[in-house]
Amino acid sequence: MEILSQLIVNSVIAGAMYALMALGFNLIYSVTRFFNLAHGVAAAAGGYAVFYLTSSLGQNVYIATAAGIVSAGFLGYGFDRLVFLRLRRRKTSSMVQLVASLGLLTSVQAVLAILFTNEFQTFPAGHTLYNVLGGAITGTQTAVVASGFFITLLLALILRHTMFGKAVNAVSDDAEVARIVGIDTDRVTGRVFFMGSAIAGIAGILTGFDTGLGPTMGMGLLLKGVIACIIGGMGNVWGGTAGSMLLGFAENFGIWKIPGQWKDAISFVILIAFLLLRPEGMIKK
Amino acid sequence: MNKLETQDLVKRFAGVAAIDGLSISIEAGRITSIIGPNGSGKSTLVNVLSGMLPIDGGLVVVDAQPPLKSIRPSKAPSYGITRTFQEVRLFEQMTVLDNVLVVLTERNLRSAFFERHRAHHLGQAEAVLTRTGLWGKRGDLAVNLSYGQRKLLEIARVLAMCATSQAGIILFDEPFAGLFPQMVKTVSSIIKELRNSGITAVLIEHNMDLIRELSDHVIVMDSGRLLAEGSAAEVLERRDVIEAYLGE
Repeated sequence: MEILSQLIVNSVIAGAMYALMALGFNLIYSVTRFFNLAHGVAAAAGGYAVFYLTSSLGQNVYIATAAGIVSAGFLGYGFDRLVFLRLRRRKTSSMVQLVASLGLLTSVQAVLAILFTNEFQTFPAGHTLYNVLGGAITGTQTAVVASGFFITLLLALILRHTMFGKAVNAVSDDAEVARIVGIDTDRVTGRVFFMGSAIAGIAGILTGFDTGLGPTMGMGLLLKGVIACIIGGMGNVWGGTAGSMLLGFAENFGIWKIPGQWKDAISFVILIAFLLLRPEGMIKK
Repeated sequence: MNKLETQDLVKRFAGVAAIDGLSISIEAGRITSIIGPNGSGKSTLVNVLSGMLPIDGGLVVVDAQPPLKSIRPSKAPSYGITRTFQEVRLFEQMTVLDNVLVVLTERNLRSAFFERHRAHHLGQAEAVLTRTGLWGKRGDLAVNLSYGQRKLLEIARVLAMCATSQAGIILFDEPFAGLFPQMVKTVSSIIKELRNSGITAVLIEHNMDLIRELSDHVIVMDSGRLLAEGSAAEVLERRDVIEAYLGE
């Protein structure tokens, strides 16, 4: 019973972390229709911003966290203004934009490695354990779960009830018609990049507090976020989170009975199964 | 006064001119119909004027402003130009009400996040949806509407843009195609009302009875060029126009 409780807690933690990556990735995909691999490095940059502010500048951790989230948002916004916006205006294909995002991911990862070395960096965080339904969870992991659920809810509310959300939905639905009816699609897309990347920044910061930071950490985070989006439903907030939870539970319950090295393989088996049997994902938009 | 002019406008596809040196004037606050046989360049003209296709040559003048060599889709609304589509294009996964609200509300950051729908925007949305008979369907997703209702929603969206003075020129691309007679009456009376409120309407249409009923001015295109223009009565009697239509 104790093992089962811990597995459930671990699954929810993993699912919430994947959801943080999936939410921003899905949001950006919904208006741009390409796989933004640079999303991963926005997460890493958020984490490193907090590391720099707390370790080098001695800033308060809460102020540093807020600054880290905003930095990740501006990094994503900068990617859009400097690269993706120009590519969209040239009507380049999704493949070209994907390759450009891979270039950005690699370049910014290299910059992070130059600035902070390739060594693993850790935050001076406490790891007090709490007991939830018989399973142990740290304070950071509690923050991961709370952030995952809170941001899913907040994003769903924004998309459903604000005019910004309606504009995002309109651009996602038909960007050309959105422009015809006077929606500034470039501005909407820029804001979406900011929001999505800021959410990725939260994932990177919490990863930093939970397990530590490395310049290439973004790719690992992104991979699970992308798989979660595909199995949950591309371009759909609830789909991304549902996919993340499915992934979190499948991985953690999977390695209960089989060796832990198979954890990533479980994700890919689920991905392939969905691609073959239900390519639209769990929740169709 | 001319609201819209084209001067030697050219649009080519793979070297073939779909619009071939077209110079026309659209007078403000009137209904100008553009007719011509299939392939004469009518829809291409609408696509060019709404910024959906780049201009290959010539100029477009809007409101006697400096001539434009190109119109980007995002810029067309800033010139007051909007359009409907031959094959209706809506925000399919949004409700009928949201399809209208999304064009009504201010878009600065504060309004975008915190406004939700102010009462007057809801009032405007109610007015245009009631006018098009869709208020009862406001909660339905656009994708679930019938063909005629979809056409009406597209017109409601245009009305919403006019209500907020975002649009002064509306390009209607076959707005009556596939509509039941009652819906045809509704749409034609809406177009007349728009004209009476000072909006400039450009109508692409094949139904000659509707052309006669609605048009203040008719422009006939053939092979991307201007063939004839004048009142409906004059133009539709001309032998060259009849020949172009019948392919004689």
